[in-house]
Amino acid sequence: MLIKFQIIIGLMSLILLVGTFELIRKGRLREEYSILWLFTGGVTLLFSFWPQFFLSQFITRITGLYYLSAVVVVAFLFLLLIVLHFSVVVSKLADRNKELAQRHALLELELKELKRRYLPPDTISP
Amino acid sequence: MESGKKILVIIPAFNEEGSVGKVVEEVKAYLPRVDALVVNDGSSDLTSEIARSRGAIVMDLPFNLGIGGAMQAGYKYAYEKGYHIAIQVDGDGQHDPREIPKLVHILEEGGADVAIGSRFIGDSEYKASVMRRVGILVLSRAISVIVGEKITDPTSGFRAANRRAIQLFSANYPQDYPEPEAMVLLHKCGLMMKEVPVKINQRYSGESSITKIKSIYYMVKVLLAIFVDCFKKRPVLKIGG
Repeated sequence: MLIKFQIIIGLMSLILLVGTFELIRKGRLREEYSILWLFTGGVTLLFSFWPQFFLSQFITRITGLYYLSAVVVVAFLFLLLIVLHFSVVVSKLADRNKELAQRHALLELELKELKRRYLPPDTISP
Repeated sequence: MESGKKILVIIPAFNEEGSVGKVVEEVKAYLPRVDALVVNDGSSDLTSEIARSRGAIVMDLPFNLGIGGAMQAGYKYAYEKGYHIAIQVDGDGQHDPREIPKLVHILEEGGADVAIGSRFIGDSEYKASVMRRVGILVLSRAISVIVGEKITDPTSGFRAANRRAIQLFSANYPQDYPEPEAMVLLHKCGLMMKEVPVKINQRYSGESSITKIKSIYYMVKVLLAIFVDCFKKRPVLKIGG
């Protein structure tokens, strides 16, 4: 029974790891956002290779969790971290987006004023 | 008012084609030496064109940022163009430009950094629904406690800011509920604010975006926001400017 779970979890971690690597390689995921994903994949992969260590050494002893529940709990905690991380990232992006929009509007206004002042009127496009 | 200071009236407007022209006209008529800046917050109607045709400087935001983002854009303009005083006036016409000199007077004589037009002090004939009044009352009590002075109208968007406050607002302006949150920000940065009684144009003030049930919800959200603001890190104010 344990072997079956080990294989399934191991495959899932590998897919996650390879998928993350592929995304980074193609430039579709930036490294700073991939660290938590790689970590999640790495930890669950360790779970599948070496379940006894996690089970006997600390997690089971501290929490009394079984193998599969332990994997799920750990993966879930990482997912929570990733979602929180993304909220922080989205907030930062929204803030920068706002700054850019304001800067854009200020520059556009400045440009229109300069055009009006220094270009003959017939060259100004509406 | 005649001291040769550069004064800018900031009018944020989002789809206000029906009223923004009149607001600009009134500002220009009563205060000919003052510049009017309309911040068009991504309107889909003729707000921008109408404001421009009435002689306002118009800044077009590329998309809708909300009242906080639009006001901040206006303060950035005021800061970069070296205005000494910026006055914010709503684009829906509820603020009477004839009251602006009162606000400016408080900045020049009263030692305040920000003057806030209040509907609730003096001989105010402002009428609002009971729920709104209760909401505003609770909010004003909460903000009075936080800033340590009596505030009667925390949601008033009729304000005047001096150079120091312009500098602060251009770098830091609350986005979600800017009027009450800005008061907490001012207090945190050690800037003085003072309320001035102003009259509100009744024919416009009934059309607020905040309706009866919503006003309680609004109050709770604002209370939460200012509570969080109390724990925020104080922004660093550069000296001078």
